[in-house]
Amino acid sequence: MTTRKTILPLLMLGIPVLCAQAPPDFSGVYYPLNPFGANALGRGAGAGKQPPATGGKQKGPPPRPTQSAPLADGSQGRSPDAPSLTPPYMAKWEMIRKSRMAGSSEYDNTAKCLPPGMPAMMNMAYGMEVMQTKDKITFFSELNDALRRVYLDGRKPTQKILDDPTYAGYSTGHWEGDTLLVDTVALHENSFIEGFSPHSDVMSIKERIRFLSPGLLEDRITVTDPKALTKPWETVKTYRKATAGTDELREFACPEGLGDAK
Amino acid sequence: MRAHFIALAVLGAAFFHATPGLAHHSNVAFEVTKVVTITGVVKDFQWRNPHTWVLLAVDDGKGGKVDWAVEGRAPGILLRAGWSKNSLKPGEMITVDMSPARDGSKTGLVARVTKADGTILANAPPPTQ
Repeated sequence: MTTRKTILPLLMLGIPVLCAQAPPDFSGVYYPLNPFGANALGRGAGAGKQPPATGGKQKGPPPRPTQSAPLADGSQGRSPDAPSLTPPYMAKWEMIRKSRMAGSSEYDNTAKCLPPGMPAMMNMAYGMEVMQTKDKITFFSELNDALRRVYLDGRKPTQKILDDPTYAGYSTGHWEGDTLLVDTVALHENSFIEGFSPHSDVMSIKERIRFLSPGLLEDRITVTDPKALTKPWETVKTYRKATAGTDELREFACPEGLGDAK
Repeated sequence: MRAHFIALAVLGAAFFHATPGLAHHSNVAFEVTKVVTITGVVKDFQWRNPHTWVLLAVDDGKGGKVDWAVEGRAPGILLRAGWSKNSLKPGEMITVDMSPARDGSKTGLVARVTKADGTILANAPPPTQ
């Protein structure tokens, strides 16, 4: 009886431990789905050596591209999916739009070799590498060699950190089943929410990151900013794990090209 | 930082006065929804970040040549699109589909490059599914 009394609580304590699954391993190189938009042209289809026009079943060369990059100067107004800005920040956006439409890179951090910042960084247009340990997950963006760390060991941002905002911000996270929940704060104002919309110093970000299926990673992002946004902005990014042959990112070294030709 | 950037750009423009300016900028400098085609002889292919550059001499239609500088995406993404550092050699004839600069300079943003043997070099890999 004494033995049963001793063992039973131990077993009960042990059950959750035995049942708890190890968190998934997100490590690897990924590419986003539709990084340049659904209408991105000039890429992919038709690339490679083309057979002669007389070559049997060939239907001739691929169509000539009609666009070189997505239109991102604001000339078409704001997308219905864009963050809903408060009047002061809408005025800032209008100023940025005029600058872009004039062909200026003044408000394009990427053109200045600055980090894209969170959450725009999670667009990962040129690919992403995830490095995971028990206590930390690091997300690396090939575009501008940008990096962010998510601490999983229970630490919280100190006042010193909150007083020192950065492009990537300060991220802490924990596992809820197979989903990684991340909170990001300490984001400074010299970045743009999705790459275009301005934000304030009180912006914070919540993410839920999980595998939808093997190799298909989803990041559900919610941005809150009481000064700049009339309501939280939500976006979802999806990435496919790279296969052999494309599973290496390359150095970006942006300042190599600052200035002019070599 | 801005002053430094401008100083570098001015210095570069002065040093490379013979070729169109290759200052680093974003896509907004180009009319990205418009594509024009030029054919010319490669003078130089610069495989560097954050943009690659192709310098080429194009017939001006008056018996002379005019220099163009066209900007491509970074080496990393072009590697995955099938390019390499040695994709283009000085002296070879190429056709470039590109978006012209808004300022009217002889520069453009590459949509694709077609080599003399018909090989097409796209400006990004096939979309991830």
